[in-house]
Amino acid sequence: MTANITWAAFSQQILVGLSKTTILFIVSSGLSLVLGVLRIPNVFHGSLYMIGAFIAYSAAMVLGGSPLGFWVALVVAPLGVALISLIVERGLFCRLYEREHLMLLLFTFAFMLVFGDLVKLVWGSDYRSLSAPPILQGYFSIFGLPFPRYNAFLLLIGPLVAFGLWFLTNKTKIGKISRAAAVDREMVGAVGINVSWVFAAVFIIGCFLAGLGGALVAPTQNITQGMDHAIIIEAFLIVIIGGLGNIWGALLGALIFGLTDSIGILVWPQFAIVFPYIAVVVVLMFRPQGLLKSVW
Amino acid sequence: MFAAAINKRSFGIAVTLLVLLGVLPFFLDRFYIYLTALILVTGLLATSLNMVLGYGGMYQFHHAVFYGVGAYACALTLIKTDLPPYAGFIVGPVVAAAVGVIMGLICVRLSKLYFGMLQIALGSLVWAIVYRWYSFTGGDDGLHGVPVPDLISSINGAYYFTLIITALCMVLIYLIINSPFGRIFQAIRDNPERSETIGVNVKRHQLVGLTIAAFFGGVAGSLFVTVEGSVFPDLMFWTLSLEILIMCLLGGWFTFLGPMVGAGIVVSLQTFVGMYTEYWTLIMGIILILLIFFLPEGVLGFFLERFSSREQAMSAEK
Amino acid sequence: MLNVASVNKSFDGFMAVNDTDLTVEKGQVVAVIGPNGAGKTTLFKLITGHLHPDQGQILFKGEDISALPPYEVCRKGISLSFQVVNIFSRLTVFENVQAAVLSHLKKTYKLFSPARNQAVRETWEILDNVGLTKKADGVSGALSHGDQKVLEIAIALGNAPELLILDEPTAGMSPEETAVAINLIHRLTAELGLTILFCEHDMELVFSIAHSIMVMQQGKSLIEGDPETVKNNPLVQEAYLGEST
Repeated sequence: MTANITWAAFSQQILVGLSKTTILFIVSSGLSLVLGVLRIPNVFHGSLYMIGAFIAYSAAMVLGGSPLGFWVALVVAPLGVALISLIVERGLFCRLYEREHLMLLLFTFAFMLVFGDLVKLVWGSDYRSLSAPPILQGYFSIFGLPFPRYNAFLLLIGPLVAFGLWFLTNKTKIGKISRAAAVDREMVGAVGINVSWVFAAVFIIGCFLAGLGGALVAPTQNITQGMDHAIIIEAFLIVIIGGLGNIWGALLGALIFGLTDSIGILVWPQFAIVFPYIAVVVVLMFRPQGLLKSVW
Repeated sequence: MFAAAINKRSFGIAVTLLVLLGVLPFFLDRFYIYLTALILVTGLLATSLNMVLGYGGMYQFHHAVFYGVGAYACALTLIKTDLPPYAGFIVGPVVAAAVGVIMGLICVRLSKLYFGMLQIALGSLVWAIVYRWYSFTGGDDGLHGVPVPDLISSINGAYYFTLIITALCMVLIYLIINSPFGRIFQAIRDNPERSETIGVNVKRHQLVGLTIAAFFGGVAGSLFVTVEGSVFPDLMFWTLSLEILIMCLLGGWFTFLGPMVGAGIVVSLQTFVGMYTEYWTLIMGIILILLIFFLPEGVLGFFLERFSSREQAMSAEK
Repeated sequence: MLNVASVNKSFDGFMAVNDTDLTVEKGQVVAVIGPNGAGKTTLFKLITGHLHPDQGQILFKGEDISALPPYEVCRKGISLSFQVVNIFSRLTVFENVQAAVLSHLKKTYKLFSPARNQAVRETWEILDNVGLTKKADGVSGALSHGDQKVLEIAIALGNAPELLILDEPTAGMSPEETAVAINLIHRLTAELGLTILFCEHDMELVFSIAHSIMVMQQGKSLIEGDPETVKNNPLVQEAYLGEST
């Protein structure tokens, strides 16, 4: 079984795994941001990812399949998701911050149920698909094996988002305030900053990332009901093994998850799905609080 | 004195309920008997979760794993072994409890949210294995037409079997909650630090509690096999775990019968609303949102609170 | 009975307890005094196993207990009553004390016998002793602060300790409540003959019941001796008593 895995196939699979990692990282870094600052385990983060993919599809459809469609969708989808999250946060969430984690968890789960059905109402239960723009279609040749251009594109986007997040949290005012709020919210409130709006901003940025992830994943797979279920558990596990609220932890966690998954596909396809979970369990047995320092 | 009166009353309610449930098959048609059996099974599952959640304060986020493991262990014993048919109903809970011990040993070192998340990770691992292991578990199709013993394979037989076992388990769980162990378990829920200080090995009690809950979750799983005659991976998918959390919350998670009531409401809703619309989870979600805002103690918790405050007012007047 | 020898504990470079010594003999009542932040609570938590010392030894009846977890320390016979109320707030007053008694009687793994028939006599005895009998059926979270502090002590008594540690038993109490608490502590020492280690800001209480006093400042033990010696020590007068009078 392992004998006929060539070095080239292995490298190619790693590259594919890395591009999957990009999506996982973008989605889970948003989740981690919200967990770190607001202390909310946001279960409907996965729903927003799914909604992002559907909005991307619709945006591209409106433009009638022109090559521009994908790029417009890439902008519209995350913004649309951010708008939805703004409404939910200001309307309902901001009244519940003092509740215990269990209540918050169930509350966000309620929204996952609601969003799941709303997506069914709006887009129906059929599969949808969105094709990549012509420039990103087709294949490169790497190590003599074909490598999808779109995956290469994802490999470029990943570091870009990571840099953007680093810049946001370390170099901007809102980033600095939110990092302070993550550690001590009373203190931030005491110096006259409106903590409630800081929370809203962080929440929206986190959700924006879910939408972006959904738009980016759209050309690589069928857009369908149930996307939310699959991604949210993965995102949670990534955040946990990385260290709650730590963006770099999310990156590390996504790498572990994505790479074990693609190695699993090579080694034992039937049980590939099991490999990342084993990796998570092993990490947590030795580092129960995650690999990097949690802000909690 | 007051405590004794309360218990006499609850005993009366329990007996009345049991008699009512016992004569139900003489009045209702197959469908409603099936539905009642399903409510009992789900209610037992929710009650076993609430034992660690409401009374133990543990963030048991993936309790459905024990339900699924119990169901699969029972079904596989019935299908693949030559053991006497009823052995499956012992193997199911025992295997669930064993999985509980293993997961507990890994999880109880952590507290609260981390505990819950690690449990989801481990549970998802179990789910992923079951989901993919076609040759043994039937993979995502599950196993159908499980050869349930003749006596309990008819709808009435399955119903009475379920009713008797559920009633027995409810009595056992009630005894455990009100035992010294249950008292200490509640003390740990309220204040783990203080519990350590009065000489309680908190982690070990949590491990024992989790194992017991897993066992009863496994019983519920085995009963599901009796009622449905089949098993599938959704039985241990994490969304089911959150659904039973909702049942506990809905019924009232600081009350003993709350989870059973919650299960009744959710399963009925699922069935009846599901007949008219495919959007029943939307309705479920809205109910949950309203619940969290307006009734955080749950339905039964709400009424009990009303009841006891009225009673206190009455005794104060005297 | 208890022997704390050159114990150190630091948090992020801050020496909370620095080279501290303390001795408690059987039957004695020992007070630890010192300004806020002197390290009294940290010292107590080191003894009870909530914290573990970086250096030094803590001997209880000749056995080193410094590495044991809190529940093991408790089983050796040391009970702690917390400075900040730390009770089982959803349980009734009776159940609070009963939990400790059950733990002491090693009945915590009994699964099927009703708890209301267990450890009842012992629990009522303690409740009678501290004067909470009438409030036994009330939910403890709803008690007044003074009653909760008394319940704190009652829970600690539930383990029938050989050494009872009280961390500021009168903290946050009204003058009337303080009087009740002082009365209670007097009775505990006089009638039950308990060995007690406590810290307290109420100097009247300290000098009226302590057989021995240890003065702490900035994490260090300044002096340990009988009340007269401590009172007359110039260092202590300057450092501590001076500012409080």
